[in-house]
Amino acid sequence: MDHLLINAEYNKEFELNEETLTYCKKYKTIVLYAAIQFSQNLKKILEQLKSSGIKVITSQPERTHAKHQILGCDLSYKNLKLETKPDAFLYIGDGLFHPRALALSQKEENEFKEIIRFDPIANKHYILGLNDIGKILKKSKSNLLKFLHADTIGVLITTKPGQQQFQPSKQLKELYPNKKFYYFIDNNISFDQFENFPFIECWINTACPRIGFDDSLNSEFPIINLTEALQAESLLSKKSLLN
Amino acid sequence: MNYNLETQKIIGRIKEKNHKTILLQLADGLKPEAKSIADQIEKETQANVLIWLGSCFGACDTPFGLQQLEIDLTVQFGHNVFIKNSKGW
Repeated sequence: MDHLLINAEYNKEFELNEETLTYCKKYKTIVLYAAIQFSQNLKKILEQLKSSGIKVITSQPERTHAKHQILGCDLSYKNLKLETKPDAFLYIGDGLFHPRALALSQKEENEFKEIIRFDPIANKHYILGLNDIGKILKKSKSNLLKFLHADTIGVLITTKPGQQQFQPSKQLKELYPNKKFYYFIDNNISFDQFENFPFIECWINTACPRIGFDDSLNSEFPIINLTEALQAESLLSKKSLLN
Repeated sequence: MNYNLETQKIIGRIKEKNHKTILLQLADGLKPEAKSIADQIEKETQANVLIWLGSCFGACDTPFGLQQLEIDLTVQFGHNVFIKNSKGW
């Protein structure tokens, strides 16, 4: 089957407004990312930042196909592939999903760098701080502890080819020989099904990693991502924003 | 419409490959555009258009198990190429 991807790029000119540019001047070094709808047309904003004396850095995060682009799933600082640590992040786009990934990517760091989200359609900026992910981090830590104390675990595998991670999930049995793992398959991972399997004490998500963070707030049952399950003790023992 | 949906590129591909059945998959914010895209494709080509009702969270979220519908071309709107790491997230 043939396949086409259409970026749906924003077709109007845009630039930072005066208020946003002034706010950015608080920082010496800013990393610039955008949603794919805006990431191919950042020349004007790059010029604005540079002429304001702000050093702009960027990268092509692990799963993206274009410079400046950010996805919702590159949730670790390592995945951003940044060579220099910025003072702040500047994200260009009209949604919250991607900039929240930039906040969550800092969970294993010791210091939080704020995210300035500039919405070119509303022509307005918003600040995303550590408090905006506080509940998620708290729930994540609590769920990690519940996982370590649980004996019976449900592992969630999606049939979506881009998200399916059955192979890496097999490491769980080797790493935690005293726990019993049951594997569950579905296309969309729905928390509604959890109550039908009351013998599961904790769920491990192997699909989109946002399920184990943002979405976990909507589940009364503990759920963590595979990545975190594979390093649970280490994550809980080191000094970081998560702890 | 403030976003470039590249319908002429899609129509060009359909004509070039002589595709008969097309599936449109749109990110949530673009779903209201399904009508105008489908109408234009069916007006300018001989192809039939189907529209994916469900999720389209990213290029990682492509429809699965479509063989029975004999779809020739899937077009996903709002996402760029996704580079999967098979070792995990």
